[in-house]
Amino acid sequence: MNLAQLGFISFGGAFLTYLLGKVSSKLRDAFAVFISLILIIPILYFYGKTEELTYFSFLGLPLLLRINPLSWIFAIAIQTITSLSVIFSLSYMKGRERLDFYYLMLLLVNAGMLGIVLSADLVSFYIFWEIMSWSTFLLISYNKGPALQAGMKYIIMSIIGSVAMLIGILSLYANCGSLDITLVSSFITQASSGYTLFILISFCIAFGIKNAIAPFHTWLPDAHSEAPSPFSAVLSGILIKMGTYGFILFMYAIAGLNLFLNIGGGSFHYLFCVLAVITIIVPTFIAVLQDDAKRLLAWSSIAQVGYIILGITIGTSLGFVGGVFHFFNHAAFKSLLFLSIGAVEYRTGTRDLNSLGGLIKRMPITFTCALIGALGLIGVPSTNGFVSKWLIYKTLILGKHPFLAFIALFGTWGTILYSYKLIHNIFLGQLPEKFSNVQKSPVTMRIPVIFLSLVVVVFGILPGIPLKVIDTISTSFGFQPQNVEIWGIASETGILNMVNIFAAICVALIIAWLLFFIGDKKVNISQDNSYAAGAHVPRDKYHHTVEFYNPLSAMIRPYFRDFVDDFYQWLANGVKNVSDKTRKIYCGDLGYYITYIVLFFAVLIILKMGLKLW
Amino acid sequence: MDRKDIKKWFKAPGKMGHKYSLWAIYFCTGCGIIEIPPVITARWDAERFGVIPVATPRQANLFLITGYVSVKTLRAIIRTYEQMPDPKYAVGFGSCPINGGMYWDSYNTIKHLDKYIPIDGWIAGCMPRPEAIFVAVTHLWTLIDQGKAKAYVNYREKYKYYRENQERVLGKLDWPPLYSIGGGND
Amino acid sequence: MVIKVLEIIVSPILAFIVGVFFLGLFRKITARLHWRYGPPIIQPVLDLIKLFHQQGFSHGPVFDLGIILALAGSIILVLFIPFGGICPLSNSGGLLVILYIMLFAPLGIALSGGEGANPNISIGVSRKLILALGYEVSFLLVLLTLMTYYNTISIVDIVENQRNFQWALFSPLALSGIAYFLILPAMLGIRPFDVAGAPQEISSGPAVEYGGRHLGLFHIWHAFSLFIYIALFVDLFLGGGSNPLTFFIKMLVVFILLTFIHGVFPRFRIEQAIKYLWKWPVIISLLGLILVMIIR
Repeated sequence: MNLAQLGFISFGGAFLTYLLGKVSSKLRDAFAVFISLILIIPILYFYGKTEELTYFSFLGLPLLLRINPLSWIFAIAIQTITSLSVIFSLSYMKGRERLDFYYLMLLLVNAGMLGIVLSADLVSFYIFWEIMSWSTFLLISYNKGPALQAGMKYIIMSIIGSVAMLIGILSLYANCGSLDITLVSSFITQASSGYTLFILISFCIAFGIKNAIAPFHTWLPDAHSEAPSPFSAVLSGILIKMGTYGFILFMYAIAGLNLFLNIGGGSFHYLFCVLAVITIIVPTFIAVLQDDAKRLLAWSSIAQVGYIILGITIGTSLGFVGGVFHFFNHAAFKSLLFLSIGAVEYRTGTRDLNSLGGLIKRMPITFTCALIGALGLIGVPSTNGFVSKWLIYKTLILGKHPFLAFIALFGTWGTILYSYKLIHNIFLGQLPEKFSNVQKSPVTMRIPVIFLSLVVVVFGILPGIPLKVIDTISTSFGFQPQNVEIWGIASETGILNMVNIFAAICVALIIAWLLFFIGDKKVNISQDNSYAAGAHVPRDKYHHTVEFYNPLSAMIRPYFRDFVDDFYQWLANGVKNVSDKTRKIYCGDLGYYITYIVLFFAVLIILKMGLKLW
Repeated sequence: MDRKDIKKWFKAPGKMGHKYSLWAIYFCTGCGIIEIPPVITARWDAERFGVIPVATPRQANLFLITGYVSVKTLRAIIRTYEQMPDPKYAVGFGSCPINGGMYWDSYNTIKHLDKYIPIDGWIAGCMPRPEAIFVAVTHLWTLIDQGKAKAYVNYREKYKYYRENQERVLGKLDWPPLYSIGGGND
Repeated sequence: MVIKVLEIIVSPILAFIVGVFFLGLFRKITARLHWRYGPPIIQPVLDLIKLFHQQGFSHGPVFDLGIILALAGSIILVLFIPFGGICPLSNSGGLLVILYIMLFAPLGIALSGGEGANPNISIGVSRKLILALGYEVSFLLVLLTLMTYYNTISIVDIVENQRNFQWALFSPLALSGIAYFLILPAMLGIRPFDVAGAPQEISSGPAVEYGGRHLGLFHIWHAFSLFIYIALFVDLFLGGGSNPLTFFIKMLVVFILLTFIHGVFPRFRIEQAIKYLWKWPVIISLLGLILVMIIR
């Protein structure tokens, strides 16, 4: 099995699924699940190996595929999340139209992302990037209605990014003569610093737009909330991290550690840190103000991406390990949350936080998994989110960046606020009358969420398993190796022992439970039997969800709007107005057109005879 | 006051705990509530007896029905009494719950509160002075010691009687019976 | 090894005894400030004995599990904070782990309150979380100042650096110490910041549906949380203690000062509380941070 066969199977599988769908829908479903699960095996086979091969030759340029530890960790995350999402779509998308098209696009997105992380030259990178972007656009606008607008916003911003990347690629080809990543890297390290800055900026615009860091994030809230839920999980979990992969590729694999940290006297990477903390703090508080469950999760994704970029660009080895690990964890718990909210939406038909409530009684497994996802998002000890955040905070504090550390830590409290709002407004509280017959989520929706919650918990207790792989990645880029054990990290500036902490938590829980047990008997009563100052509790009127953080919302709402989105809208409206006015020269009247031609010739004659320009 | 008798605490901790930590629900029934704030503030300090006011019946085990009980208030009193955890003690404060008091011939008040919820003791007076509350609390301690303050057990065993009385006055009740009555009704 | 196991067992018990003593002392001193006699200092123990002999009500499994989780979070937090020489789990992550385990308590109470299905609980929990957001700004700045000044994230190291009366309160960190003392009432939930569990307004907030043993666990959690926050202040700014007795005396002094503040002030509304917490403590702690960054 070599890499070319892997790519061929992923692309061929996508098209074969579409053709099989014309024959029978059950065959198509089974084949989609089969092809996405079967691709995990070759990726696991490539663990720890490094190889490279040429698979095509395009106008004299060799197109290369290669795998190394960085690509491996991205590839395994991509394939796992996509296969879980395909399993989830089996029930979620049942009965919708154009399902062949949906599965084709989902598997094409998967194949495109695999191609991006496996490509070793910039032409294949660009081709797979475009395949991924366009399939995403077609999937975002799958639902009719506001999804079309969301898709338009996404594709326009993505095309701007791709054009910036194309400018960079063409300039590199003109100056370097080859687009192989290793040759480009050696060229960049000898180039002048102004040229390096230009290349880095043009590529970083493309990756920043895809990665949704401020100020390029405005496409994300609409796209995530309007896409179908299984695809929202893929979009938020993996697709925006393709920008992260691009950042790591260009900052460390191509430019190199020393060059990246010293451009502009160290201010270039610090600019990214500042953008990252802005991305952490403002979207967190905008998420607190949201009323739509998926929009809240979308703003939360933007905020967590800030943590990843902060970890990667701070330039220390602990930070790099923390950033890459946070990417991995975020894929796990954000897909988990999107899939659970998708299950709720499938059964109740709504995702409005002001009208849901009390679903813990009807959907207990979905509640448990959503709770584990929310705890991972907050970063509670013994979930994997805690370990990656600990690493990032430690490197910021010991690296003498207290203001960055403060903003990152303060973002955690905003995270607690909106995670609790999500869990409370959907699962806790009173069950409204109209949802009293909601059934549990179907089996194919339960399998992915249970698997992802196991990943969150197990990698929280034994973080050494993924940290070892990430450590090899960071050493390959020239960082210091960390002393990684199965239970955590034992660096000389402080030990993090997750097994100890987890054991202590278990013992404390047992003690508290024993204390609870020695009390007297208890009576189980219904939720209706609640204190209401001696009055009867009417159903549906006792659940406090609307304006949940009322005092805080009133204070911060004027300051935490999406100003960048307003600016882009103003810009787009300005362009549209100017084009509208310019369009008026096309009036359809032949006389006007002849007048334009005659006037133009008159101007030319005056320039020749009067000013003697040529 | 045998609060300092350690041997008794080890022999019967439940009984001693119920005596020296009576939490009264701050329920303002009628005119008598004006006597409660002087009791819990600095002049006649109730906290040294262990009696503090709490805001919700779930945390309380003493219910002082202070003053006259109108039909509308009876609904709230029954609901609050049923929401308190066992063991609970109810004390009627003032002459109106005992036999109607000043409003003995009114169409709108309850003359004998004992028929609707079980009462452990009465304090007579139109309004009694705050010291009477302390006399009542210490007398309640004696009753709890002797095991005679079992009104809440009465409520459970004779619930059919109480429920019928409640329904006769209030009409159809919109909360289900607290204990099973048996014999098909509601 | 044996010593460590002994420390793990003894530490929460000591914290519980100190916490319950503080609860009783709290009511006694407040009563004396109000010119009345007050209950005996042993009264919280009597309350707990009564609560564990009383029937409780449960609205569902998460209702029980939430309060158990809150108490477990407090018990485990005691193991991370040095108490005189006793600190069993000093080597597993430092101040950052403490910051994160402090989240268990509001989270547990919020989860159990969510299943209580009473809007008073939801209002109380939302006020509690907003108040936490209010004091966290200043708290994080103070902790970052300390960690930058001593260049470590381990709390045992910070205590070690304050030996021989080089308390942090009398060093360039004095501004941070003052800011921390200003937000201590908010962290403990005593007046003027007890808006989250206001009995007169929202019927005790998250505790409105707690009876019997749930309320008993709630009081035990309250005792532990009194111990934890004051012990953290003493460790970070007053030099810890070379043995538990000096540590306890320092905690007592701080606690009596806080009780005096509680006995005299009325309650702030939540908007007033947030406006205060985001103004003066933040300004003072920010000045402290800038001072330390200039010095270092």
